Amino acid sequence: MAEPPLIEAHDLTKRYDDFVAVDGIDFAVARGETFGFLGPNGAGKSSTMRMIGAVSPTSGGTLRVLGRDPERDGPAIRERLGVVPQEDNLDLELDVGENLLVYGRFFGLPRDEIRRRSDELLEFVQLADRSDARVDSLSGGMKRRLTIARALINEPELMLLDEPTTGLDPQARHALWDRLYRLKQRGVTLVLTTHYMDEAEQLCDRLVIMDRAKIVAEGSPRELIERFVEREVVELRTGTDGDAPSLDGIGGHVEVLQDRIVIGTDDGDGLVDRVHALGLHPETVLVRRATLEDVFLRLTGRSLID
Amino acid sequence: MEAARRTLAVVGWQARSFRRLWRGSITVSLLNPIFFLVSIGVLLGSLIDRSSPDLGGLSYLQFVAPALLATTAMQTAASVTTFPVRAGLKWLRTYHAAVATPIRVSELVAGILTWCGVRVMVAVTIFAVIAAIGGAFVSPLAVLAPFAALLCGLAFGSVLAAITSSVEGDEWLAAIFRFGLVPLFLFSGTFFPIQQLPAVLEALAWATPLWHGVALCRSLATDDLDPLLTAVHVTYLVVLTAVGTMLTVRAQREKLRR
Repeated sequence: MAEPPLIEAHDLTKRYDDFVAVDGIDFAVARGETFGFLGPNGAGKSSTMRMIGAVSPTSGGTLRVLGRDPERDGPAIRERLGVVPQEDNLDLELDVGENLLVYGRFFGLPRDEIRRRSDELLEFVQLADRSDARVDSLSGGMKRRLTIARALINEPELMLLDEPTTGLDPQARHALWDRLYRLKQRGVTLVLTTHYMDEAEQLCDRLVIMDRAKIVAEGSPRELIERFVEREVVELRTGTDGDAPSLDGIGGHVEVLQDRIVIGTDDGDGLVDRVHALGLHPETVLVRRATLEDVFLRLTGRSLID
Repeated sequence: MEAARRTLAVVGWQARSFRRLWRGSITVSLLNPIFFLVSIGVLLGSLIDRSSPDLGGLSYLQFVAPALLATTAMQTAASVTTFPVRAGLKWLRTYHAAVATPIRVSELVAGILTWCGVRVMVAVTIFAVIAAIGGAFVSPLAVLAPFAALLCGLAFGSVLAAITSSVEGDEWLAAIFRFGLVPLFLFSGTFFPIQQLPAVLEALAWATPLWHGVALCRSLATDDLDPLLTAVHVTYLVVLTAVGTMLTVRAQREKLRR
């Protein structure tokens, strides 16, 4: 018999007064999987994460986390979760090691055990030499890594990461991805939200695309790209000439955005030749592989990051 | 019991956060009573006619010291349950981090208010020892006055935590001190008997927690204990603590478990 999913949601809904933040979504996450919620700000990703994390009551539908009801068994569920929130909430009045100590105590761990785990975790997130440093003095990327170490202090079965790399510079993002990838290799189930399609592509085995409180598509990054868009994309920056209509039928789907035209195709170079053959001379021409960004654009008519 | 264990973890957290500040805090706790008792109790007191019937044969120092014990409790409680609570809920969001663990909101609040009690107890004990050395207490029952002050501190701590957890704008915090605690400090029978107030204000004083704390501490330190009045003071402060705690839990649940 297959193991039941670690998270299972049916018709899951979250309302704040009149505002519907999550509108009847269904999903399931299996043990060992890295599962993503991809979507723009305000799509309902964080609200979903908070319900999974048993800190936000559901307004409708059913939700099971680790086989339990978050409404009834909040502490028992949270005991087995590691949570990396969107905004850092480390205790700035404590040093790095103390942040881990205090957090471990919240889980009822003995001090010796916390110290042992702290050493390992700080090693893991490459902060071993910073154990006595004030949290204030850490860079954004270091704080994020410390938050991850803190979330791992109880050896969670399930990690919830809400926009883990938002606000980090590219180097810090890659360092963080590398750590998350290692966790994944160790078999920790990761659930993350992001509005970066490259992050979702790099990390997620499977993801759902959310828009306006609903799930609009589900699958692996590759599946989603194959299902919804052509293999390649040609982006034309046209300046002001408004030639868009004449491009219909030149390749695959044509999306006219404010500053550029995006055309899906299975043969990018061939399409560029045809554009030139039409006598068009765009300011810039870019041929690239299709990404989840294009999937999102196709499904919603909008780009992920405004 | 799990709930008690988790509450203690919160107390331990608060104590650890305080480790960087304790030197400054202890200095304040030592100097404040000396400054107040000397300047008001002794120096200002020397101008006050001891034969005034309102003083009931006490020196002004003996009259004012037990009241300052209660105000110390109030001020210490306020320093624990206003700005730090705001920081936990909003500025640093450390309370959000705490309730993502097995800690429940009720346990978080219980831990914070327990820590408030610890801080108040330390401050009033230091105050009481200094006052006793200075001859400010006439009755051996004064030994119980720090516990009365603790009760007063818990009543303030829970109510102020409830207010801090409920209001939105940060400007409210300064307002609590300016329009709440300062008038209470001045008009709750601390420096003069409330019988001297106009009848309306005297009735108002009965409604304020500080006056009950002041009256309780004073009756213990001056051996002027009325069983019925004592029961009223204690009940008032206990009920206020319970209500304040409940409202704090409710307000923080609203913020932390949206």
